[in-house]
Amino acid sequence: MTIAVTDPAGAPRRVARGDPSLRARRIAGFGLLSPALGLMVAMLALPIGALVLLSFWTQDGFAIDRTLTLANYARLVAWSDEATVWFGIPFHLAYPVPAILMIKSLVMSLVATVAVIALAFPMACFMAFRVTRHKALWIIVLTIPFWTSYLLRVFSWKIVLGFNGAINSGLIALGVIDKPLEFLLYNPSAVVLTLAHSWVAFAVLPIYVSLEKIDRSLLEAAADLGDSRWQRFRRIILPLAAPGTIAAALLVFIPTVGDYVTPALVGGPGGTMIGSLVQQLFLKQNDAPLGAAVSIAMMAIIALLVVIFLWAIGYGRMRERRR
Amino acid sequence: MQRIKFIDRMAQGKLSRRQMMQSAGAFGVGALILPPRARAAEVLTCLEWGGYDDATYFQAYVDKHGSAPNFSIFAGEEDALAKVLAGFAADVMHPCNYSVGRFVSAGVAEPLDTARLSHWNDIFPALQVAEGVLENGDIVMAPADWGNSSIAYRPDLVDEAFKADPSWSIFFDEAYKGRVSMLDNELVIIIGEMVAGKSYDDVYDMSGEALAAAAKEWGTKGLDMSRFLWTDASELQQGLASGEIVAAYAWNDLIKNLRADGVAVEYARPKEGFFTWFCGLTLLNTGKADKALAYDFIDAWLSPETGKALIEDSGYGHANQKSFEIADPAEVAAMGITDPEAMMASSIVFRNPTDAVQEEQNKVWGDLKALKY
Repeated sequence: MTIAVTDPAGAPRRVARGDPSLRARRIAGFGLLSPALGLMVAMLALPIGALVLLSFWTQDGFAIDRTLTLANYARLVAWSDEATVWFGIPFHLAYPVPAILMIKSLVMSLVATVAVIALAFPMACFMAFRVTRHKALWIIVLTIPFWTSYLLRVFSWKIVLGFNGAINSGLIALGVIDKPLEFLLYNPSAVVLTLAHSWVAFAVLPIYVSLEKIDRSLLEAAADLGDSRWQRFRRIILPLAAPGTIAAALLVFIPTVGDYVTPALVGGPGGTMIGSLVQQLFLKQNDAPLGAAVSIAMMAIIALLVVIFLWAIGYGRMRERRR
Repeated sequence: MQRIKFIDRMAQGKLSRRQMMQSAGAFGVGALILPPRARAAEVLTCLEWGGYDDATYFQAYVDKHGSAPNFSIFAGEEDALAKVLAGFAADVMHPCNYSVGRFVSAGVAEPLDTARLSHWNDIFPALQVAEGVLENGDIVMAPADWGNSSIAYRPDLVDEAFKADPSWSIFFDEAYKGRVSMLDNELVIIIGEMVAGKSYDDVYDMSGEALAAAAKEWGTKGLDMSRFLWTDASELQQGLASGEIVAAYAWNDLIKNLRADGVAVEYARPKEGFFTWFCGLTLLNTGKADKALAYDFIDAWLSPETGKALIEDSGYGHANQKSFEIADPAEVAAMGITDPEAMMASSIVFRNPTDAVQEEQNKVWGDLKALKY
């Protein structure tokens, strides 16, 4: 990277750092930022810092040993000759639980994310291209489920999928089945379904915004030049909607990996995720430092995956092009 | 602009003290400057099992102090302990005979001065000195409620064979897969070993290889068969009422509640034995409220009126002998055994393994659950 980037007009973009008028403006900028920045430091950076520190300590009975050590992280990757087989995959780890749950959580929220995008994209397309009047009203309608708490929405799925819930009693009344279906609730697919529903509105909005920004004349030009409907979608709408779709995917994927409430309520014995393990370690197994290490490792893995994902889809190039 | 003027004048020092105070008062600053009034005393905070936050169980406290204490509901004693250790300032905890030791070892339990409990002398003498109440010469828990843990089942939905010879093996039986529910507790592994023919006293403190082997065999099986592992009795109650669950690990009150709702449900006496527990109130040293409040709360729990409510509403026993005298005789008769000593002699009393073993069992059970798919 060269520092002296020039814009198309050829003028140097960056002015000397010492310019006093600029410095004043920069300070003013920080001033405007400071409430948010202060809040971020107090509510996010400090707790994460505490968590990182905790992860380098160890639990010793009821007390916490404050000597700094990597023991907790070592436990997460300690090798064992005896393999724990999970879904046919052998894990040669002395403590395989975090690794297995991590993979399971990633797969589950990946499935949920794909489902969310698949649901949200058509909705966003409809709002951007078909709805011409009362757009604001449509957006409000879309957010109606968010007027109730997350917990209630998860609980309502329990009622929908439950043994004598809406689906089962409906099917029984129709005579389709004579015994309630039991595979609906208390398994990983119930968790994925609930997550997909809970997060879909979060995904619609960013996708909608990027679709809304697409210049309609591009579509008209494509139609004039003989592109079919599908070609227009693939060659114009999809690439131009990519930034919003990527944002939506990240917005859904990152928080759902660590979700705890949903698996706890609809997951049953088999639907646990990594968040459940963190809760277990903190509250049941009385090993907060290991719980902290698992959380930090999870954060690092998610961050790494997001970076790889952005690199793989060429997000950098996409941004370059937009300049 | 009035606002800007105000700031300007303040900056120039032209504001009178009176004006200044007036404006400050509008922001509630006065509360800090005023001489401290009699400060509202700290409210008592209790860690309690779900359902026990009902005022009928501590009416005497409400009568005396006008309101109920604050409650924090826990699903298992280990959760409550972790919460206390993480800094939750609770004054009173409701552990059981098998779990109070954990609070003592963690150094958060405070010995009780029984002279401050007016109902202490009416407690069954056997309970006054039972393991879990008296530890190293200190009274660490005031015994209050006692009851059983056994199998609750729907007689219309289980096989005749089970009804004729009830056994804990129903929780490990393929035929009942997805139709039973165990408590979310490492007890599943221990009960599995009992099904295999061992006695509770030999296996309650399993550890190391033996525990790992038992977890692999019985823990996994118990997990696979359970529809869900319950932590919340009302979820279990709904499951049994709808028929989603046909048999479950349950406490006596469930039977009483379901029958009151008109659901046919029986309480089994499994051949491997059923369990008796007794719980009570422990004073914690982490609380901020006045100790007198904590003693009042504990004393209210020991009152015969609370015992009457327990016997009549949930079918549990009470530690106060007088409770049985004032409770509805029909309800007392329905309980069968009303002497906790006799009850303990006829059943298996839960025991507390050492801290290291308890932690190992927690971990093994937690890992087992995590690997289920």
